[in-house]
Amino acid sequence: MSREPRIRLDRVGKWFAAPTVAGKRTDALSDVSFELAPGEFVCLLGPSGCGKSTILNLIAGFEQASTGRVLLDGDPIREPGPDRGMVFQQPMLLPWLSVRENVTLGPRLAGQTPARYLPEAERHLRLVGLHDFADHAPWQLSGGMRQRAALARAWLPNPEILLMDEPFGALDAQTRLSMQELLHDIWRDTGTTILFVTHDVDEALFLADRVLLMSARPAGIRAEIIVPFGRPRDPEELVADTDYGRIKRDILHCVREEAARSLALDPA
Amino acid sequence: MTLESELTLEPYQGPAAEERTAAGPRPSRQPSRGHRHWPISVASVILFIAIWQLSGSLGWVDPLLLPPPSEVFRTATELALSGYRQTPLWQHFLISVARALSAFAAAIAIGIPLGLFMGILPMLNAVLDPFVQFLRPLPKIALIPLVVVWFGIGETSKFFLIFISSFLSIVVGAAASVTGVSQGRIRAVQTLGASRGQIFLYVVLPNALPELFTTVRLSVGIGWTSLIAAEMVAANSGLGWMVINAGTYLRTDVVLLGILLLGLTGYLFDWVLTRLQRRFAPWAGKDA
Ligand SMILES: Nc1ncnc2c1ncn2[C@@H]1O[C@H](COP(=O)(O)OP(=O)(O)OP(=O)(O)O)[C@@H](O)[C@H]1O
Ligand SMILES: [Mg+2]
Repeated sequence: MSREPRIRLDRVGKWFAAPTVAGKRTDALSDVSFELAPGEFVCLLGPSGCGKSTILNLIAGFEQASTGRVLLDGDPIREPGPDRGMVFQQPMLLPWLSVRENVTLGPRLAGQTPARYLPEAERHLRLVGLHDFADHAPWQLSGGMRQRAALARAWLPNPEILLMDEPFGALDAQTRLSMQELLHDIWRDTGTTILFVTHDVDEALFLADRVLLMSARPAGIRAEIIVPFGRPRDPEELVADTDYGRIKRDILHCVREEAARSLALDPA
Repeated sequence: MTLESELTLEPYQGPAAEERTAAGPRPSRQPSRGHRHWPISVASVILFIAIWQLSGSLGWVDPLLLPPPSEVFRTATELALSGYRQTPLWQHFLISVARALSAFAAAIAIGIPLGLFMGILPMLNAVLDPFVQFLRPLPKIALIPLVVVWFGIGETSKFFLIFISSFLSIVVGAAASVTGVSQGRIRAVQTLGASRGQIFLYVVLPNALPELFTTVRLSVGIGWTSLIAAEMVAANSGLGWMVINAGTYLRTDVVLLGILLLGLTGYLFDWVLTRLQRRFAPWAGKDA
């Protein structure tokens, strides 16, 4: 890639003060380096507890690296900002606002007038199938609907970078598939840079340009897979591709090995 | 490949008719406990009043010790028409309510902002907390001599006694209400560009609102309780004063009437606040 990376992690280590059996601190990340090119879609895969959310938190600016550098367009990241949107493992909607008020929170915090953001907001609500529920309270929606609202909320301000932490993990298989297709289409139309954490190899292979496999804690990047399939991708065609099975097998092999190592690490 | 070739998919008919009726219709939403059982509460109160009445009519209890409801009712109409000690009953009632409401209003207007600031500014909390914690459990009757010396025996003393007891518990409750906000919600609005002030307005404050309502309900209850203490300070009107004064003349019927009115008014305050809470903070305890 010849272009300047949008995000660069340079030998990043991160530990927490919480003591473990092995020592006085929890080492989450040992030595993580990777780059995200502008407009790239990268998936992060790894065993539970290896530090995937920690990486997103560092890029979002919620936490600071213990060692190494986390750079956005070449500058160190110090605090959260609207240029880096985030979809969390939980929807994290505000129960005191309606679905529409939640979705439009970004532009409203930026002081935009309704005339400017409402047409686009209505379009997003329709895209995620929540147009008829815009005036409902978030707690009147199902779990899947809430997560769709959270997706629309993160998209509406059009962030340059979108960090997604297993956003579809709690959805049923059908909704997940349609959300993946929706995400794919929006990404293609907007050119946002996306870092997407998932446990689901199929999801990663359907969405990503590149998959980063993480090792067990203290984690580093163990392998990088360039996803060779062209776009647009069709989920049904994809699984019939001869390369698909081979790549999926390789990834699963790595993931299971790391998962076994991470379980062996925790003596209990 | 088609599924239909291997499986015959018949339209689903639902469970057999007998099964459906046997199970009975399911209520769509469980009404809250208090709502479902209100007829029992009403019956219980009616039964209580009936036994109380019988105890007087059948001569079980000396009516001087416990006047029956009929006599309390007669006293109520009498006082409503001719007043107690030259003051009409409604005026005793209104003056007590006015004293209490003005003190509550001041306690809420000052206590909530102060408590919120203590909750978000640890320094301020460290400075004020020892005094608040010392004064809050203090029986307010102990303050009466000082209050009289400071403010005299006029309305200011009464206002101050009700004010101080509700104010202290509002401050403590408001300070606690802002601490329980989830990190996830704060982070969510930070990624949308919220400033510190916006985080407070959009997350911390609404998150605290249900607990603020609960705090106000508790504090209003405490303030109403201290009305008697306030009206012990050389008053000549008010429900609290009426009860104390009637006691010295053994007018137990007036005492009971006063107690009933004091209790019902406190109940009414709480009912109104509960209504407001449901209307303005319906998200209490809701996840999203
Ligand atoms: N605030 C914290 N304090 C102490 N330890 C933490 C903290 N946050 C994360 N950790 C530790 O860092 C490690 C990585 O956590 P992280 O949440 O990044 O895992 P993850 O890869 O996202 O896992 P999962 O797939 O289960 O979500 C874990 O061992 C966890 O115990
Ligand atoms: Mg995680």
